[in-house]
Amino acid sequence: MATGAQPRAGVWTTRWTTLTLVLIPVGIAINFVGKFVAQALKLPLWLDSIGTVLAAFIAGPWVGALTGALNNIIYGLTVDPVSLWYFITSVGIGLSAGIMARLGFIRSTARAVIAGLVVALVATVVSFPINIYLWSGQTGNVWGDALFTALTLRGVPLWLASFLDELVVDLPDKVLTVLIAFGLFRALPRRLLSQFDLGDAGHRRTA
Amino acid sequence: MRPVGLYVERQSPIHGLDPITKLSYAVCLALVPFVAGDLRITFVALVVNLGLLVVGRVLREGLLALAGVGFFLATLFIVQGMVYPGNATPLVSVGPLVLYQEGLAHAAWLSARFINLTLSAFVLLFTTRPADLVDELMRAGLPPRVGYVLLSVLQIIPSMAARVSVIQDAQRSRGMETEGPVWVRMRALLPVLGPLVISSLVAMQERALALEVRGFGAPGPRTFYRPPWQHRLAWPVRLAALSALLGALVWRLAG
Repeated sequence: MATGAQPRAGVWTTRWTTLTLVLIPVGIAINFVGKFVAQALKLPLWLDSIGTVLAAFIAGPWVGALTGALNNIIYGLTVDPVSLWYFITSVGIGLSAGIMARLGFIRSTARAVIAGLVVALVATVVSFPINIYLWSGQTGNVWGDALFTALTLRGVPLWLASFLDELVVDLPDKVLTVLIAFGLFRALPRRLLSQFDLGDAGHRRTA
Repeated sequence: MRPVGLYVERQSPIHGLDPITKLSYAVCLALVPFVAGDLRITFVALVVNLGLLVVGRVLREGLLALAGVGFFLATLFIVQGMVYPGNATPLVSVGPLVLYQEGLAHAAWLSARFINLTLSAFVLLFTTRPADLVDELMRAGLPPRVGYVLLSVLQIIPSMAARVSVIQDAQRSRGMETEGPVWVRMRALLPVLGPLVISSLVAMQERALALEVRGFGAPGPRTFYRPPWQHRLAWPVRLAALSALLGALVWRLAG
């Protein structure tokens, strides 16, 4: 390695430094602030996983998963106990966002939309069984639940109605979350990003 | 800057109990209805939780916080009343919509389970400083690095939340619209989140350096600043909570 050519980071590579560890609480705080700003602007979206996605973009799927897990644990232990049930959803969001980033899906806006769709699908697939167990299929979102009711009354099976209930909420929410995280990621100084293994998520390549 | 969480500073026997005992209690009592699968048992757990909130002198705060989920519970009754698969006996009809008895009973069960989960957690959350809980968890074996992450979240959030309003004011003075239709409000997201997130991520490098020069990455065991939190009722309460959970399991298997 005397020539300075770094080995290319794989999808799962993580550089465990103090900086990586400090990224996790900052990511969790960004989640919290995103949710807070969305509520302050009265937006009909959650936007409570921008930090998890951003941490995954910067430091890879494992850090994204850990940020998601600890996010729901700390949130469950301070404000909202129900969020503990959904910690697997956050892990799924962090993992999928990190994998998509490392596979090169945040090199352009169009690709980032695809990454957003994948993250939305993963979040939905993980969440809807929890919704079925806890709430017999509802999500608590008015639009999603209205769809759920209409579908179930027309004889659509519960699992499918519940899946679509979660999907109509998650799809716009996660696509927008990923796009916001993508915009923020692109604006980060290179000096900061150079301290992480970005893999194929590397941006503004000089080559 | 308001600290994160529901903790209310007060003097009470529940406040004096150690955090791990309260955590064990909250987990066991929250799971009782899920294990027992019985509405009557759920009511017993609910009454116990309400009683402890009274002893902890946080009943009013607890009920106020619970009111926030009232809307969701109302939708639960409406939707389940209409679509629950076991629906057979119509009870109320409003125009074309019919609410069935079985669905409403099912919604009552789901909400009782949910309210009990929330109140069990409230016994812990309203009477325990989050930092104390994390400290005791580390003493019980949580890796110190994970403990650092959890504790620093509690410090970072209030300072970031305070900066949100400063940035919002600054951007509004530059003409950012924060009211109006969804699209206008949506456009306000980036001017607020951008400066906030990027400055916090840049500041993160300084924090990592500050930690490293203070031996954050050093090998070897860690010591604690405060003595362990001991309480003579710690084990009796933990065992009582655990036996309540086991009792619920026996009820389920016997019933």
